[in-house]
Amino acid sequence: MDVKLERINKNFGAVQVLKDIDLVFPSRKFVTLLGPSGCGKTTLLRMIAGLEPVTAGAIRFGDRVINELAPRDRNIAMVFQSYALYPQMTVRRNLGYGLRVRKTPQAEMDAAVERVAGILEISHLLDRKPGQLSGGQRQRVALGRAMVRQPDIFLMDEPLSNLDAKLRVTMRAELRRFHLDLGATTIYVTHDQLEAMTMSDMIAVMHGGIVQQFGSPGDVYSRPANLFVAGFIGSPPMNFVTGAVAASNGQAAFKSPDFTLELANGSAGGAQAREVVLGVRPQDLTLVQNPETAPVRGRVWVVELLGSEKLVEVMLGDRRRLTVQVRAETPVSVDDEVGVGFDPQRIHLFDAKSGIALRS
Amino acid sequence: MTRNEFWGHTRRLVSYAVLCAVTFLVCFPLVWAVSTSLKPKSEIFSTPPTLVPHTVTLENYKALITGRPQYFQSGDQQVTSGTTPAQFFMRWFVNSMIVTLGSTLISIVISTLAAYSLTRFRYWGRTVVPYFSLLGYMVPSIIFVFPLFLVMVQLDLTDSLLSLVLGYVCITLPFCMWLMWAFMRSIPIEIEEAALIDGASRLQVFWQVVLPTALPGIIAAAIFSMIVSWNDYLFGRVFLNSLDNLTLTVGVMLFFEGTHVDWGLLMAASVLMTVPMAILFMALQRHLVAGFGAGAVKG
Amino acid sequence: MRPSYTLSDRTVGLLFIAPFVTAALFFMIYPVAEAIRMAFYSYNPLRPELSTFVGLANFEYIFRDPLFWDSFWQATVWTFLSIVFQTVFGVGIAMLLHQALAGMAIFRGLLLFPYIVPTVVIALIWRWIFNPEIGVVNHALQGAGLINEPIYWLSTPSMAMASTIMLNVWKYMPFVVICVLARLQTVPLELYDAAKVDGAGIVRRFLDVTLPQLKEVLIVVIVFRTIWTFNKFEEIYLLTKGGPGTSTFNLAVYSFEQSIANLRLGVGAATGVVMMVMLSLGSIIYLRVSGFGEDERAS
Repeated sequence: MDVKLERINKNFGAVQVLKDIDLVFPSRKFVTLLGPSGCGKTTLLRMIAGLEPVTAGAIRFGDRVINELAPRDRNIAMVFQSYALYPQMTVRRNLGYGLRVRKTPQAEMDAAVERVAGILEISHLLDRKPGQLSGGQRQRVALGRAMVRQPDIFLMDEPLSNLDAKLRVTMRAELRRFHLDLGATTIYVTHDQLEAMTMSDMIAVMHGGIVQQFGSPGDVYSRPANLFVAGFIGSPPMNFVTGAVAASNGQAAFKSPDFTLELANGSAGGAQAREVVLGVRPQDLTLVQNPETAPVRGRVWVVELLGSEKLVEVMLGDRRRLTVQVRAETPVSVDDEVGVGFDPQRIHLFDAKSGIALRS
Repeated sequence: MTRNEFWGHTRRLVSYAVLCAVTFLVCFPLVWAVSTSLKPKSEIFSTPPTLVPHTVTLENYKALITGRPQYFQSGDQQVTSGTTPAQFFMRWFVNSMIVTLGSTLISIVISTLAAYSLTRFRYWGRTVVPYFSLLGYMVPSIIFVFPLFLVMVQLDLTDSLLSLVLGYVCITLPFCMWLMWAFMRSIPIEIEEAALIDGASRLQVFWQVVLPTALPGIIAAAIFSMIVSWNDYLFGRVFLNSLDNLTLTVGVMLFFEGTHVDWGLLMAASVLMTVPMAILFMALQRHLVAGFGAGAVKG
Repeated sequence: MRPSYTLSDRTVGLLFIAPFVTAALFFMIYPVAEAIRMAFYSYNPLRPELSTFVGLANFEYIFRDPLFWDSFWQATVWTFLSIVFQTVFGVGIAMLLHQALAGMAIFRGLLLFPYIVPTVVIALIWRWIFNPEIGVVNHALQGAGLINEPIYWLSTPSMAMASTIMLNVWKYMPFVVICVLARLQTVPLELYDAAKVDGAGIVRRFLDVTLPQLKEVLIVVIVFRTIWTFNKFEEIYLLTKGGPGTSTFNLAVYSFEQSIANLRLGVGAATGVVMMVMLSLGSIIYLRVSGFGEDERAS
């Protein structure tokens, strides 16, 4: 079932936390609401769950407006960040609770619980209480509780954030696999871009109560709609250089205090003489062997080894730095004079005032 | 033995010694009361006094429990000739039980419902009520005992156990309210939201999810409420007057009104009066400490 | 489509708070308001129809009454000494209990026990063990050669005061112990390790690590206990009835005696109002130091 948000607004007292949100979560897709804390993503999820009243706008499941519907009548399931397992109930009762309050026959309920426990490999834990489980096990129970009712829509509020790093990687893959198997529409909230990138069909990047960009993971990574998305997505974060675009001999060029860069035709999108910000990912920069010929030169300030890669921070002048990611074998050490190479196809230009991407 | 080990042992020994001494001092009055209650009359006044009775007798307890008049000499007008307070002991005991359990039940029900409402729903005044309630808890009973008595007069409830139940609700409710509020606030709301999404109605959520989770808080509040009601003297003294209706605290003070004080009997009465609270205390000590943390001192 | 027996959240919220509001109105707000009203009336409970408005006459009466001022100062002394001893002993015992020694749970239970013993029982035991002729305390002191003549604990003014203070300290020290202990258990052990690494000895560690951590809880406990102790009624009344003479009167006993013995409910109520004013000042301090309400505004 698809979920449509139409001009959703949410105020807490005088504070407006969500502004005119329009989104369509396509049926059976895994969509992630991604953003820093306080961006309104959890509030939005809670409104879809029916836990938070809608100030203005409409939420539709399919064609039906469900604004006023109680959570129990929405046929949704939710996995909470804190798991929210009922502490006094055994795992078995936790899993079956949603069926019991709906007066499902005992045999049917037992079968459903056993089935889900089997899928999640927690059959041996059924008679324990949440307090006796590890974090990963609790996480599975919370997931199981959501799966057992076969809901139309799965809502997940940072379900992996309380797990340790290693477990998180495993669970990420499992969540993705479960989604493919179950085929329910899933709305997933996280502040972790890696989770968003690896698991989602679509990502809605949120900031300041506004959807900044809605697109496939590849889209938001390679074609960021504005400065916020560009800076938020990608690790290590994108380099930003402030400057201006000027044309000479019909050739557009980016000029900053430290360097001038000729731009590929049309990439400035008619931004002539405007204040712009140039963004370039560390992965898209190269170190040039002979600095004399390179358009951008600087001195290596620090080198960080990541394993197969190295991060090289190059000081351009007056504390302006560029991060360059290179293969670990690349011979470079602190205080070397180096040149930095740009690929004109892989740079992003943004309007300095509005932050919006400049495209041809 | 290394130097460090030596000091470690010494410190531990000293700690134990001080601890034992302090514990002895704190417990001595109670131990002495038990000892006196078990002594025959002749031994009570023996010099030097004995901590462990030479002859142990349960006469005093028997007298209180069976209500058989012993050698109590009545000199008080309230005690009609031929009767002694000891005869009423079991009756007072039952009265105290009724009043304590009744008022605790009412306080707990009211405060649990109210605390849930205050922490989960938004309406005007919901943040003020708990603090107001805490202030109410600090108002000493002596201030409102007489006005409350006049209320009971108007309700025609004087000299009844019901009046005392209502009176104890007044003094325990503010505290129970504060404690339950603090406790309810600490219960993560996600658990309820999970239940709502699972399909439970609001009442089901309250009954099946909130109440079990709030049980430690409820127990702590109930213990406090019971201690306060069971131990109270002032309200019983002002509200009640016929011998049949007295509670233990008021009744036992009557033992003193005679010209001759039977210390053995009195100490036995004291011990019996303490036993219910002692059982409660031993069974639920953990919760009592938890209640202190939540209610009396923040953090 | 929703079943009709499902109540809306709003209804549940109001339904749950309703009993509390009713109880608060009838049994808390009304009596306190009535107590304040009575302070401005001449009120004899035997002739309620004759009650007349007298303005500030009741207040004038008590402010001119030397016994009122005696009661006030005696209450101040009583409170101050009680709090000092409670705090010092309470912190000391808490430190002793905050050690990983075997059998600590038993000591803890025993030391906290006095808190649940009914005041009536404590008062009776006190009268028994502090009895000048046959009490065990005088026996012990004489036996140890510390005194030659028996001390008249409850029938000389200064000793009666000392006895009530002892009773109060004995009964409420556990409160301090529990609060301090709870706080001690949250002091990060790293702080002690850091102090040890920095070369601090056991005394310095107490002064520089433990005490600053306890400061907050101690202030709260002290203010809280001061408010309570100042207005205590039963601890004094049951042990000495305010006597000998009026040497252990405090304001609560004064108010009680005016109301019950002299049937001047108006004067008793006026005393209550004075106590409430002081209580409010104390409560404001309490709210300030404990930081109540601040987290409320933030959330």
